[in-house]
Amino acid sequence: MKAISVQNLKKTFRVKTKEKGLKGTFKSMLKPTYRSVEAVKGISFDVDEGEVLAFIGPNGAGKSTTIKMMTGILYPDGGSIKVLGIDPTKERKKLAYEIGTVFGQKEQLWTHLTPYDNFKFFGAIYDIDDKEVEKRIEDLKNRFELGEFINTPVRNLSLGQRIRCEIVASLIHRPKILFLDEPTIGLDPVVKDNIRKLIKQMNKEYHTTIFLTSHDISDIEKLCKRVIIINNGELVLDDTMENLKYHYLNKKIIDIKMRDDGKFSGDDNVKVLKQKGNNYKIEVDLDKTTIGEAMKSFDMDSIQDINITNVPLEDIITTIYQRSK
Amino acid sequence: MKKYIHILKAELMTSLQYLPNTAFGVFTFFIFVYIMFMVWQYIYSNPQELINGYSITQMTWYLLVTEILFTSLGGRRFCKEICKDVKSGNITYNLNKPYSYVFYALFKHLGSMVLKFIVDIIIGVALGFILIQSMPEQTVLSVILVLVTCFLAELISIFLIIAIGLLSFFIEDANPFYWLYSKMILIFGTFFPIEFFPEYIRGILRYSPIYVISYGPARLFVNFDINEFINILIAQIIYIFISYGICSFLYAKGSKRLNVNGG
Repeated sequence: MKAISVQNLKKTFRVKTKEKGLKGTFKSMLKPTYRSVEAVKGISFDVDEGEVLAFIGPNGAGKSTTIKMMTGILYPDGGSIKVLGIDPTKERKKLAYEIGTVFGQKEQLWTHLTPYDNFKFFGAIYDIDDKEVEKRIEDLKNRFELGEFINTPVRNLSLGQRIRCEIVASLIHRPKILFLDEPTIGLDPVVKDNIRKLIKQMNKEYHTTIFLTSHDISDIEKLCKRVIIINNGELVLDDTMENLKYHYLNKKIIDIKMRDDGKFSGDDNVKVLKQKGNNYKIEVDLDKTTIGEAMKSFDMDSIQDINITNVPLEDIITTIYQRSK
Repeated sequence: MKKYIHILKAELMTSLQYLPNTAFGVFTFFIFVYIMFMVWQYIYSNPQELINGYSITQMTWYLLVTEILFTSLGGRRFCKEICKDVKSGNITYNLNKPYSYVFYALFKHLGSMVLKFIVDIIIGVALGFILIQSMPEQTVLSVILVLVTCFLAELISIFLIIAIGLLSFFIEDANPFYWLYSKMILIFGTFFPIEFFPEYIRGILRYSPIYVISYGPARLFVNFDINEFINILIAQIIYIFISYGICSFLYAKGSKRLNVNGG
């Protein structure tokens, strides 16, 4: 069943423009001028229930605008959205009971209250019975290991602890879809990994659909099976992670260490990325040649060590961003 | 309703962590009332004198009641918060929660001002007795009914401030509108009862918000009259519906115009 269905979604912002200098300031006061910025230009996609999807793109691509339209925060200028069969523009409150949101750059917790008081508060906001809230807090406290600081005011928590609490607060009403907008921003690798595990666990145990945006490629690599790339308000790619990695950019990186007497004859289909003495780092385009063919340019008997890896996902995505400009 | 009580409770718990701020607010309240009392004492050279129907005792208590209503409200900070919420886009994070933003803002502010309201009443009453050593005649019923009108006055004030703050959806900065509004309230309802103004202004003031949020409750306290109470109560109920209606309208229209770029 479809959790989200987006058809030909559009959003245009009106942005005030001003000529430079003091004169320009007065002019804009008397006769303000505006320009239109098309943030989202008719995108369409579906998300299945229980899916973990990465929705990525460079800054200003239209990711957050799309999320805000799907959660009922912004009104689209065109197209249609159905989230769990609900139209966010018409039934925002009804939808609010079914979805959870975590915006990594915005706090939704009351910073002067403890996480426990915050969770009780959110429980009340979602009309959950007191006893049930207590049960859920206890459960989430154990899962997210909040025991140590559940009674410490949020303002005194570390960023990692706070984000964990933000996620718990958004889960207290057991949403069917969780929108995570850069949830690991600013976190250290250990905390990031911890958060990823918790998100995975949640998806597995509660079958929660996860809609994730992140600039951290590891988030996407470790959590998502499908990725949608958006740039300049247009959908650039909608594919599985597997296809993205192995088919979209069919390139391999090979590190070769040769003895001093070894020789490299060169090949038009082999791109040397780095060379130090008789150590080579080459890129092989599998659309043009094969690994075997590429290796023939090396003196096979003098090879001491060899390491074949995929092009890093980060590079693939950067290339896609650049191509779509 | 339960969720709004929780919003009030959460904000009250927050404000309890800032008791020194409340104490400082009380200090400024004290200074302000004392200065105004000195001015009125100078104007009332003869303690038995009546000016526009008010004795010095009534005038002092009128000032205390209107001042309690005005300062405990913390309107300037509240209006700034709403303007900032709209302009920075923070308001969006309330849009995807299952509550009404107008009621959220109302109960949140009630939570932040309830403590100051109670403290201001206690300090105000104590100050009244210290300064003037007497009080206009009261019964338990009249005190309760005045308190009801005071509460409704604060409710209307909050709705009006929310409405001013929500203007930020449509204009660059709504704070100057609050400045103008608060000065009108101070001059026409807080410092001077409306009887001090010419007849043609008085006619306008009787239908303005000043009648229900400042003058009315204070007038009742210094000269209680059940018919006047009923008039004020009816006017307050009408104003609650009007001000809430304006807020809901501005919010509904404004949220559709919302421009929030970036994460």
